[in-house]
Amino acid sequence: MHHAYIDKFAYQDSVIHRIDSRVKFIVVLIFTAVVISLPRTSVSILFCYAVGPFTVLVIGRVPLRFTFKHILLVSPFVMVLAFTCPLYDRTPVEIAFGPFVGQSTAGWMRCFTILGKFVVTMLALIALVSTTRFNTLLAGLKRIGAPKILIIQLGFLYRYIFVLIDRVHHILRARAARTFRYLGLKTELKIAAAMLGSLFVRSIESAEHIDIAMRARGFDGNWRTLSTLKIRGTDYIFLFAAAAFVFGLYFFVQPVLR
Amino acid sequence: MSKAIEIIDFSYKYPDGTAALAEINLEIQYGEKVALIGPNGAGKSTLLLAMAGFVRGSGSVIIAGLQVGRESMAKIRTQIGCCLEDPDDQLFMPTLFDDVAFGPLNMGLDAERVKVCVASALQTVGLEQMGDKAPHHLSAGQKRAAAIATILSMSPEIITLDEPDGSLDPKNRKNLVKLLIGLSQTLVIATCNMDFAATVASRVVLMDAGRIVADGSSERVMSNLKLMTEHDLEVPRRFA
Repeated sequence: MHHAYIDKFAYQDSVIHRIDSRVKFIVVLIFTAVVISLPRTSVSILFCYAVGPFTVLVIGRVPLRFTFKHILLVSPFVMVLAFTCPLYDRTPVEIAFGPFVGQSTAGWMRCFTILGKFVVTMLALIALVSTTRFNTLLAGLKRIGAPKILIIQLGFLYRYIFVLIDRVHHILRARAARTFRYLGLKTELKIAAAMLGSLFVRSIESAEHIDIAMRARGFDGNWRTLSTLKIRGTDYIFLFAAAAFVFGLYFFVQPVLR
Repeated sequence: MSKAIEIIDFSYKYPDGTAALAEINLEIQYGEKVALIGPNGAGKSTLLLAMAGFVRGSGSVIIAGLQVGRESMAKIRTQIGCCLEDPDDQLFMPTLFDDVAFGPLNMGLDAERVKVCVASALQTVGLEQMGDKAPHHLSAGQKRAAAIATILSMSPEIITLDEPDGSLDPKNRKNLVKLLIGLSQTLVIATCNMDFAATVASRVVLMDAGRIVADGSSERVMSNLKLMTEHDLEVPRRFA
């Protein structure tokens, strides 16, 4: 396999990596909820909120280039959503950024808020998955009472997404090796449909084999794993610091910046 | 030696009516290392699935003295370990440790005992330092060894392996041969690689078109040029 893994930095070791996955998950969940709930006119406060995940990424030795590359990869959908805002809301508003004051429209404000919230929450999410091994994240989710079916599905998704990506690469390579020119939209679509069909059939076959492998080892519908999670002093310190940061900004800094 | 596997007049048809296995009669004693050989589509993999109770047809399949059936399956699955052809199907957990622990946990062993089983299985296949790795971070040879470890951790008396040497380079194949020869369990290995079968197994069962056409010592069956050629197989180098 030659593709990069989203969690490739989760196997490093740092203070952040050693924090309990439940604590990190809850912090990211609250952080995301708070950032999303910020008023749509609050652009400056988003810069303050970005400091949190940015610090975690730096301490966790996750390269920022890797982080922003992955944010860009998932950004097209949000960009479409954000850049349509200026089209339908042209109400003039006055904007202030520190000493700078200017004129804009409510649509552009909303656009920047959506993009800002997206980048800040993605920073937090990447900080979580890049400093937490997926199995410990799943164990943490299980311990905090996430539905069993969700844990199983996430586990399979993580395990087989790479196998699926590999299969797609192989199919595309096989196609490229026998394609010498553009065959016209209709034929190209037909080929794409056949490739998707082949992928689908192979996925079903794999699912049947995995089912056999699971039942052969006594699987009865209960997902059993050995969990070694334990909350320690550093976890409480992290939780307290994160709460102080998130709610401090929300209750004390945001009203000033509004 | 007593019978680990006993199959009497077993036949199975695919849902479309095609005969996959016909009148299979086979006895395998405890401790035997048996290779199922034959061309593609001979029914080797289906026979392995029948042994593990995943394929039900007419006739009897008796594993460790227990007739394969709905009631006996839980007990039978602690006796027979089933290693599939593609290690990616066998390794479905996020880490190797979780995968190797999956069987023992389902057997109801306590946490400390599970850890001992996992450590022992990983040590047997030479992956003792790899427990926290995700399966997609392992090489093809490591994945194959890991797939076997998922079975060994359950300490079954019988292990079935479907094409275990597939896509392995010579070094990894040599390691696998060493590992399989060193195992004390009853092994049933389906393979199309005649050299591999001749090296690992002392007994060979030749299948074609869903039937057993020859059964005997590796040397007797595999050195028979006429028999091997008739069934689109080749004589391994050591018997040539």
